[in-house]
Amino acid sequence: MTTLMINKTKYEVELKGHETLLEVLRDKLGLTGTKTSCMESECGACVVNIDKKAILSCITLAKDVEEKEVTTIEGLSDGETLHPAQQAFLDKGAAQCGFCIPGMIMSSNALLEKTHTPTQEEMEYALDGNICRCTGYIKIFEAVREAGQVMKKKGH
Amino acid sequence: MSTAINKEYINPVGKSVPKIDGKGIVTGQIKYVFDVSFPNMLVGKMIRSPHPHARIISIDTSKAEKLPGVKAIVTAKDTHGIKFGSNEYFFPHTVDQQALEGDKVRYIGDEIGAVAAIDEETAEKAISLIDVQYEVLPAVFDMVEAMKPGAPQIHTAMNNIAVILPVNFGNVERALKESDYVREDVFYSQAAAHCAMEPHVCVGQFENFSNKITLWSSSQAPFKCREALAKCLKMDLNDVRVIKLAVGGGFGGKLEMLPMDFASCLLSKKCGGLPVKITYTREEEFAFSRRKHGMLYKLKSGVKKDGTLMAISGEVIADGGAYCSYGPTVMAAAIMRTFMVYKIKNFRINGYRVYTNNPISGAIRGFGGVQSGFSIESHMDLLAEGIGMDPVEFRLKNITEPNMVTVNKMYLTSNGLRECIEKAIVAADWKGKRGKQKHLCRGIGIGIAADVMGSKMYKSHESAGSILKVEEDGSVYLFTGAADTGQGSNTALSQIAAQELGVSYSRIRCKSGDTEITPFDTGSFASRVTFISGNATKRAATDAKKQILTIIAEELKTNIEDLDIQAEQVINKKDNKALMTFDKALELCYSFNYGRQIIGRGSYNPKTTPVDFRTGEGNVSGSYGFEAQIAEVEVNKETGEVKILKMWDAHDIGKAINPQSVEGQIEGSIAMGIGYTFYEDLKFKNGRVVNPNFANYRLPKSIGTVPIETIMIETNDPEGPFGAKGMGEASLLPTSAAIANAIHDAVGIRMKELPITPDKVLKALKEKELAEKK
Repeated sequence: MTTLMINKTKYEVELKGHETLLEVLRDKLGLTGTKTSCMESECGACVVNIDKKAILSCITLAKDVEEKEVTTIEGLSDGETLHPAQQAFLDKGAAQCGFCIPGMIMSSNALLEKTHTPTQEEMEYALDGNICRCTGYIKIFEAVREAGQVMKKKGH
Repeated sequence: MSTAINKEYINPVGKSVPKIDGKGIVTGQIKYVFDVSFPNMLVGKMIRSPHPHARIISIDTSKAEKLPGVKAIVTAKDTHGIKFGSNEYFFPHTVDQQALEGDKVRYIGDEIGAVAAIDEETAEKAISLIDVQYEVLPAVFDMVEAMKPGAPQIHTAMNNIAVILPVNFGNVERALKESDYVREDVFYSQAAAHCAMEPHVCVGQFENFSNKITLWSSSQAPFKCREALAKCLKMDLNDVRVIKLAVGGGFGGKLEMLPMDFASCLLSKKCGGLPVKITYTREEEFAFSRRKHGMLYKLKSGVKKDGTLMAISGEVIADGGAYCSYGPTVMAAAIMRTFMVYKIKNFRINGYRVYTNNPISGAIRGFGGVQSGFSIESHMDLLAEGIGMDPVEFRLKNITEPNMVTVNKMYLTSNGLRECIEKAIVAADWKGKRGKQKHLCRGIGIGIAADVMGSKMYKSHESAGSILKVEEDGSVYLFTGAADTGQGSNTALSQIAAQELGVSYSRIRCKSGDTEITPFDTGSFASRVTFISGNATKRAATDAKKQILTIIAEELKTNIEDLDIQAEQVINKKDNKALMTFDKALELCYSFNYGRQIIGRGSYNPKTTPVDFRTGEGNVSGSYGFEAQIAEVEVNKETGEVKILKMWDAHDIGKAINPQSVEGQIEGSIAMGIGYTFYEDLKFKNGRVVNPNFANYRLPKSIGTVPIETIMIETNDPEGPFGAKGMGEASLLPTSAAIANAIHDAVGIRMKELPITPDKVLKALKEKELAEKK
């Protein structure tokens, strides 16, 4: 049995060894908020945060994240109010079909953990691994900027 | 009402209220078919042809059937041999694809069967054990070659031309003779992929004893899906239920059935009713779904010295691939759009939709308009240049006007095209920049476009229906057949319902796209949902409101004509005084004395005339949308790279139901257009897609995102719900031409072939240099 720490909850999972974190999240734990669009690290829909960094769960072995802190889109808010990044994506109209959004928000969150006032260039680089086919990214940048402001105010 | 009413969302039309399913999206709680899982669900995989063109001699599945974990295998033998297609009503002979092919395969990936197994690994192993004997036939991959006598015959159509579309008005020969300047150009637009982030995915389940099918499908058109399933599986419509959940993007790629949809149901039937889920890999998505038609656009047109456009003529050839799909109507739309944009009396373009052994071309956002937009709008700049006229002035002289009938009998009512151009050129400082930044290798270019709000793809009508159920606690449930694919139609329709009913948007709960529960709707295509489903929804709300007010009038012993519901209050229209709250009114409706349920219904079918595809005559849409787009670019003469400095988009949207959502559609369209202009290129070698992944098929990413300024022109369409028109596609149409025209302004080269790669730019610069030396 492997112990995984996901969204501050301990999960005991039986692993053969080759399972990716994405497979474990979606198929074993039913955490389907994390998506994938390519299964080969090109789209970013599977991004989760591991120790506050944006990580592609489709190319991460589940056994390698033992003893690490994994946060998925389901664990971002406190369960009552939306996380500032979630709220800003909603308010700024940064989501259309929404399929890329969990990964996009988790990449944004990793950036905002580093800085609350990212420059345009920092945002473009931090999100370049996340493909969005609907929005053209403009509203996504607005949302990240706004979320940073709110996090700064709230002392996140 | 259990939750508090949000007062900010009273009178929601025109407000940027958040998406109705937005919280589900940002928390990851919303469910796509991609996320659906049932106990004992099996994994399905398609069996595909490795050959571009071959006759099937035999299929031996015996070894695969013995593999432990394999639950069912289906081939053409399990079907009724009934074909499906998407232009059934207009072009019956183009219904040409089998649910599973049994005699012949026509492209690499053609579906000849499917396997259901306990997991993906087993399904894949089973496929490798299936022995298919083929007689390989000669294949043809080039559309022009395919039209030549003696080319391999793919279907029965002569010279592989599935459809010839002659669009002919006036006297082109005479008009060209009377022209002061005539020129010919040839443009090419490449094949491209939809790349919706959620791949094609479906779950089919057959109920063996009741003989019913449920298909969960990531679909833009559940009702069309139901129709094709029922027909090909020889079932009654009411025994087929198609359910759409949240859809992770469509862009035209999920508008029609794929063999996987039939296969999942057939597999489920064969294995005793276990649900079977088929999920496309990204590679299957690129190589075996649908794609944009590669299109050759040959034009010969004439103008007078004063800029009067005299005639447009030419020929369009489209690489259709192995089957017709939506091809014939894509072809028609690619040709007929010009009538909405330019006042033209003499017009003759013949369209040829050609079979090849390439993957299947079909519907994709823009529906032929991207290819024609690039060709026509580049050609118009060249015509203007030929007579020494400013391209904006040239367009202003020739564009369509409000309340006019075009030569092919389209009725253009509201038309803000002139205002779009005028506002866009002011915002972009056209006069200050055009031709004046060559020293910086910078230039500015324009493209204009128009789009329909729907077209009759389904039998003879394209109606939409809505039901509004208002309950005793004041909850309002909207049931619509429209298929939100992420563009936000559930949100816009809910705003329309709330506005018309006179309540806050926060009351509305929306259920869409379930053929057993929601009213009929033809689906999300042709930018039709806001306009057509919006009108149906508005009518349902009007009906519900009337039912409520009938009871209030009875109770207060007053005339219903004097009553209205506005901003959560029942009011007396004479003095605008509030009589009671909406909640109170509903309590009364469901009280001891009345006990009447409030169920509003609405249906809408736009007033149009069928298009005669022998001539191109007909009023295809109940309203038309317009737009002008400007690009400013900087060309690097050393590397051939083109940088877009800014885009401006002025769009006649009638009325913005949700301005933020309108901006989102425009920004997304332009991003897609920029990708197509510069690098999105689905490449084939002998019929095989050679770049079926995101690493080799480049999409617009966040680095280098271009600033876009959106200008909304509200012309208040007389037929639109609250004056609104559809607008999900038009902004994509002129992008390539606006950029190509800007490149010409910057460095004097004319790009006639998409995508505009640095190599092509350098080559054109070199050719220009050589020509100047001579």
